[in-house]
This record gives sequence, C-alpha cells and structure tokens, in this order.
Amino acid sequence: MTHLTTEQLLELREPGLEPGLDGARAHLATCEACQAELRLIDQRVARLRALATPRPGRDHFLAIRSQYVADRRRKRIRWAGIGSLALAASVALVVLAPDGPTGGRADGLSIGPAYAVATDGDTDLATIIARSQELEEALRVYDPDSRMIDARTATIAARLEDQLSTVDRQIELFGALDRSVPERQAERLRLWNERVGLLNALMDVHLTKATYAGM
Amino acid sequence: MNAFPLVQEETLLPLVRRGDPKAQESLYRAYQAQVYALARRICRTREDAEDVLQETFLEVFRSIGQYRGNGSLWGWIRTIASSKALMRLRRNKYRDTDELHDDVAMPRREDTGLRMDLEAALERLSDTARAVVWLHDVEGYTHDEIATMMSKTVSFSKSQLARAHARLRLWLGEEAVA
Repeated sequence: MTHLTTEQLLELREPGLEPGLDGARAHLATCEACQAELRLIDQRVARLRALATPRPGRDHFLAIRSQYVADRRRKRIRWAGIGSLALAASVALVVLAPDGPTGGRADGLSIGPAYAVATDGDTDLATIIARSQELEEALRVYDPDSRMIDARTATIAARLEDQLSTVDRQIELFGALDRSVPERQAERLRLWNERVGLLNALMDVHLTKATYAGM
Repeated sequence: MNAFPLVQEETLLPLVRRGDPKAQESLYRAYQAQVYALARRICRTREDAEDVLQETFLEVFRSIGQYRGNGSLWGWIRTIASSKALMRLRRNKYRDTDELHDDVAMPRREDTGLRMDLEAALERLSDTARAVVWLHDVEGYTHDEIATMMSKTVSFSKSQLARAHARLRLWLGEEAVA
C-alpha cells in the first residue's frame, strides 16, 4: 500500500479541498497509518502555535518616534527650504541693491524709519536662515538615523525633533503672511533663531550622545 | 496568532494619522509584542528582529492613512511586518542557501537518534522554510499569500512547507501512533 506523502497530508488540512485530492481523502479514511501521520502534523502545528512569545530586549518607541519626526521634518524642510531660499534671495536683493536701504528713492523721497527697521531685520533674517541651512546640512551629512543611539539620547532627540516640528509649522504659517508688517518680521526672526538653537542642540545631542550635553 | 484588539481604535487612528505622539505610542504598545514575535520567528537574530520591529512601526506611522479599515488593523500591521521580515531575510542571505535540499528523506548521520525541542528544530530550518512554516501554520497565511510575499510560486510554498514538516518530524523524533 502506498501511503500519503507529507505534501498530500498537508493539502488535506487546507480549507477548500481541490478535486484532485479525492483519492487521497478516500485513502485517509481507511488508512490508520496516514491518520496517525495527520494527527502528528496537527499536534506539531498546535505546538508551534503554543510556543512562547519572544519579547524585544528594550523599548523601541522613542527611536521610532525620533526617526518618524526627523523624516517628517525633512519632508517639510524640502518644501519650506524653497520658500526660505526665495525669502533669503529677496532679502539679499534688498540689502545689496545700489539704491538699497541707505540710498534714496528715484522719486527723491527719503526712506522712512519703518522701512529701515525692516531692512535691518531682513539682514539678520538672511544670516539666521543661512545658519539654519548650514546646520541642517551638517545634520544631513552626520546622518543620525544611520547610527545607534541609546535610549536617553533618543528621548532627548525625539523631544527636540518635536519642538523643531512645531517651530517649522509656525515658520510655514508666517511664510504665508504679509512680510511688510514689522511685528511679523520680528516674530519670523525669533522663530528662525529658535530653529537654529534647536538644531544646535540636536547636533550637540547626537555628537556628544546626550551624556555630555548637560540636558 | 491573534493580537489583542486595540481598545478605542476608532478614536485613536485619526490621531495616529495626524502624527500624535501619544496615539502612536498607544498603537505601538498594543502591537509591539506581536510584531516582534513574528519578526523573531522569521529572522535569524534578535538584532534583525528588533530592526524589523522599528521598520514596521515607522512604516505603520507613515502609511496609516492608507489603512481604510478593510480587514483588521492587526492584519494590516502583520502584512507590513511579514514583508519587512522577509525583506530582511533576502537582504542578509544567511548561512544557508534559501532552498531546502532534497536530503530531507535521507537523514544526515548526525540526525540519527537526534531528538531536539521544537524551538531548536525551528531554528535549524533554513530561513525560507522557517518563514513558510511560521506564516502558514501559525499566522494563518494561505500559500497564495505566502507566494506573493516571497515572489515565488504557490507550489514552491507548498513544497517548502512539506519538506520543513518532514524535517521537523525527524528532528523531533516523533513516533506516529496508529
């Protein structure tokens, strides 16, 4: 008597039997040896399902969250970067133009104080945006995502990344508003300064692995 | 293997879609053990399984907008985890070739009289065979689904499973009682 193969026995366990297995089913109904083999398979599968559930050695949430926020920030910055480059370019044009902030206007009217204040702000803004871009590039080159970090570093990095996201959202919002209002310009400058501070802190955390960052 | 259903899934998911950290953490806490267990059974090392765990949840957080509620949330997360684990296997190309050889029916000398526990026997299978056994017998995937995930044929999945069972039977020293 030819007994059923393991493959045939396994097929018989599948839901929705194929018609070609009629012969195998008929054999199984009368063969005690094959029935015993099938029971062994059932028992083995039951034992596999009952195996202990292994647990991860450490908590990974903060590392995942940190990477998620960093990814999101990078995406946002790609878009915001275009806006800030345009802003920086327009600032540079104002500052460097021959008849720029200190020059007179073609119609002979003097430049009012509000314009002069905004121009100083523009110069500062151009500098701070450039600094922000330098730090962003330094972080990109350092590529913290490709490096192992301890839980403490991950916690601090995740917190900084979250704060950066918040600042980026505000920068985006201010980018859509009228730039000629001096108060908005001052707020914009404050936000970019905050952004540079956070990027600096992030660099510190990654480079010194939090332990020495005094945070 | 069934995961525990996430309590308040309906209120939590919109928050996860917005990137809310607390909601993300709740989702992670609800399913991390199941994802890790699946990854650990498929991957050869704990380190690889932990990488798969991270990659899976990163993908879940990024793509949660694509989950439309068709099927269970765990089913959706499990598919991502399985795919990441299989990708890791392909990338690593561990010690064996991915094929089980035809020596299953002819035990090697050191297999004779060998009786190991199920954990050890499972570990000893080739990566592909172990993955097929786990995905089919424990996670409940069909051969069609496994074949798709592995970019192989259905008959490949079936034969891997049969050969793996033959090996497990031998290594576990099981005796059929008629």
